[in-house]
Amino acid sequence: MAVFLIRRLLAGILLVILVASATYILLNYTGSDVARNIVGETATPEQALAKAAELGLNRPLGVRYFDWLGTTFSGDLGKSWFNNVPVSTTLLNGLPVTLSIIFGALVLSALVSVILGSLAAVRAGWFDKTVQASAVLADSIPGFLVALVLAMVIAVNLGWLPATGFVPFQRSAVEWLRSITLPSVALAFGATAATTLQLRGSMLDVLKLDYVRTLRSRGLSDRRVVFKHVLRNAAPPAVTVLSLQFIGLVGGAVIVEKVFGLRGIGSIATSAAVQGDAPVVLGVVIVMVLIVVVVNLIADLAYGWLNPKVRAE
Amino acid sequence: MKRKLILAGAVSLALAMSACGGSGGAESGGAKAGGTLNLAVSQALKSWDLAEAGMGNAEQYYEPVFDALLHMDSKGAPTANLATSWQYDATLTTLTLKLRTDVKFSDGTPLDAEAVKANLLHTKAGKSEAAALIKAISDVQVTDPSTVLVKLSTPTPSLLRSLANVPGMIASPKSLTSPQVPVGSGPYTLDPAATTAGTEYGFVANPNYWDKSSYPFAKVDIKTMSDPTARTNALLSGQLDGAGISPDRVDAVKAGGLKVDTVTPGVVEGLYIWDKKGAIVPALADVRVRQALNYAFDSASIVKIAKKGLGTPTTQHFTSDSEAFVPEMDQTYKYDPAKAKALLAEAGYANGFDVVMPDISSLFPEMQAAMVEQLGNIGVRVKLDKIPFDQFMPSILAGKYAMSYFKTGGVDPWIAIQLIVSKQATWNPLHYEDTHVTDLLSRISASTGSAQVALYKELNTYLVQQAWDAPWDVVKDVYASSKNVQVTMHPFYQTPPLFNFKPAS
Repeated sequence: MAVFLIRRLLAGILLVILVASATYILLNYTGSDVARNIVGETATPEQALAKAAELGLNRPLGVRYFDWLGTTFSGDLGKSWFNNVPVSTTLLNGLPVTLSIIFGALVLSALVSVILGSLAAVRAGWFDKTVQASAVLADSIPGFLVALVLAMVIAVNLGWLPATGFVPFQRSAVEWLRSITLPSVALAFGATAATTLQLRGSMLDVLKLDYVRTLRSRGLSDRRVVFKHVLRNAAPPAVTVLSLQFIGLVGGAVIVEKVFGLRGIGSIATSAAVQGDAPVVLGVVIVMVLIVVVVNLIADLAYGWLNPKVRAE
Repeated sequence: MKRKLILAGAVSLALAMSACGGSGGAESGGAKAGGTLNLAVSQALKSWDLAEAGMGNAEQYYEPVFDALLHMDSKGAPTANLATSWQYDATLTTLTLKLRTDVKFSDGTPLDAEAVKANLLHTKAGKSEAAALIKAISDVQVTDPSTVLVKLSTPTPSLLRSLANVPGMIASPKSLTSPQVPVGSGPYTLDPAATTAGTEYGFVANPNYWDKSSYPFAKVDIKTMSDPTARTNALLSGQLDGAGISPDRVDAVKAGGLKVDTVTPGVVEGLYIWDKKGAIVPALADVRVRQALNYAFDSASIVKIAKKGLGTPTTQHFTSDSEAFVPEMDQTYKYDPAKAKALLAEAGYANGFDVVMPDISSLFPEMQAAMVEQLGNIGVRVKLDKIPFDQFMPSILAGKYAMSYFKTGGVDPWIAIQLIVSKQATWNPLHYEDTHVTDLLSRISASTGSAQVALYKELNTYLVQQAWDAPWDVVKDVYASSKNVQVTMHPFYQTPPLFNFKPAS
């Protein structure tokens, strides 16, 4: 197990270096004059040149790359070219926002999909059909539309929850929950639909197996059979789906963060990419790759815990 | 048992959440005297270092902490603030400023002539829009603790107005070299506990401020919100007291009971002709061709349809708040495609000509459609060059395009001239020079008062006759505010200045 973990971690580090380096090189070939965009529309050409020199943009790409690699390895992600805030500060401020709403979305998605997925598989009939149809419908509605409607109806018209902003958990747990509820629901929408269908399918497969019939014949209650035995056997594929969902949710977070005025990793990444703010883009890329590596690792571990056959291998 | 616990937890959670519901914003203190003023700005804060400061709607970040040397009245005339009086010498290259003697920075350092000198030289040496506005300052001399002499390399008619904005803001000299936290003498101080860099900036009233009555709020909270939907929703739900909104939200915001005002930041949009020398497209060197381009645009329809009425049709670069504005000039080129074609034929382009322009459809699709269609109607065939938007400004500045859609300007005529007219102007990428214009510019800078105003108008008239560019309209920005506040728009400030926010009575 330890060897497995170490091997995966080393591969993860290598992946981070490769992806970040590729991003670094690509960012230098966008052909835009970043310095001009930084100093602004009314600044003089001399000021733009001075800015470029200050950022070291007049040095050869190779020199800049190895410089960057060195400082990054020493743990310094640099400062944003546009607002001078250290990239580490920006990421530390943004990560709790994104992770909070993704966490909220995953919990919601897991809860709802386990309930609806297993009930649909067990009950079949009209309930099953309704769940299936709703899931297909929910999956086809774009996330931004859900976010807009939730913001308009629940926050603006009814005033039940805040329309924008994020409150850190440390400041107030209740306010934190209030601030992430709508973004999480918006984000969970599509993910829940996909996971519900996935779970329903694998539950149906498991329900057909002989051991279920055996369990039932021993007089175990339906609830016990489903939640104690069937669900556990049907869960591993759903865990894989959830871990993939997590990575997909990071993408979905971009739009949800925008609608709810949240400065999470998603909106930080898009605004930095549009501006050409290389240090911030690179910082986000490094953190994202790390997150994907860690999530995959956790998913593997969870899969092993749920499925003893994998553990034994 | 477990299930009951979960249920109980969920119920108490729901109760706790709904108990806090309905209050709108999580931390809205209410925009009453002594309450919190909640504002949002669409641009991010660039830096607390004034030498790197941004302008436009980012000015609001600086106003709570930094006090400026001057303010402006609604006509754009300078009024006293940190400087109590000001006087130019005969050559208009030395400005003497007398300073208040009772002002201290929030770190306890007195605000004196040395501090003003350190600030002006520091800001001028920067690489920002604020620095560009005072680049003509060659030296600052201290004659006594309350008197500074600002020396200029060349007369700069816009200087006093610039000193009433970010370039004239004064920070504690101790903080100039380490501007992580802003230290000024302004009406508020930054509250680090209520601040998240890049997201939200909280300010609390400065108890030692010399003009407290002009700033009735105990706290100011400024959020960075780049998304127009988020700004609108925050306004509608009561989380904000003021923010700029996009034109398509006006109806929704009004229906929500908010007040909507327009701001005219002096920006003029339209077809900008970069290649008046005819280096890329020879036809553009002929004034008749440039005039034909002016006749081609139905500005009234463009404003009505593409701008949803939020603009004023124009054919000049100077707006009605500017001294250079000549109302009759707006009648010079009435929409007349037949006349445009006739002028093109007269100039030897009866079959029109081809031109390559940057594609702006990602940001201004309606504008682009109107522009390409109306140019096509007079025989000007536009080929659109698809470029990423971050390359739009750099490629124009590199002289890649003969003409393109653009918008820029300023209410102060000298600032507008430095941006688009003079040979060295940033937005004169091919450095076109007209000797008559150069002569007028030197006469303007050497004059004052009504003589200067007459020369400004003469310049404007000449620029319109020469069809310098083909402007369509003066841009109107929209500012929405809650019923809790009384906001007065101010012509020479791009966003309402902080001292123009009062609690609604």
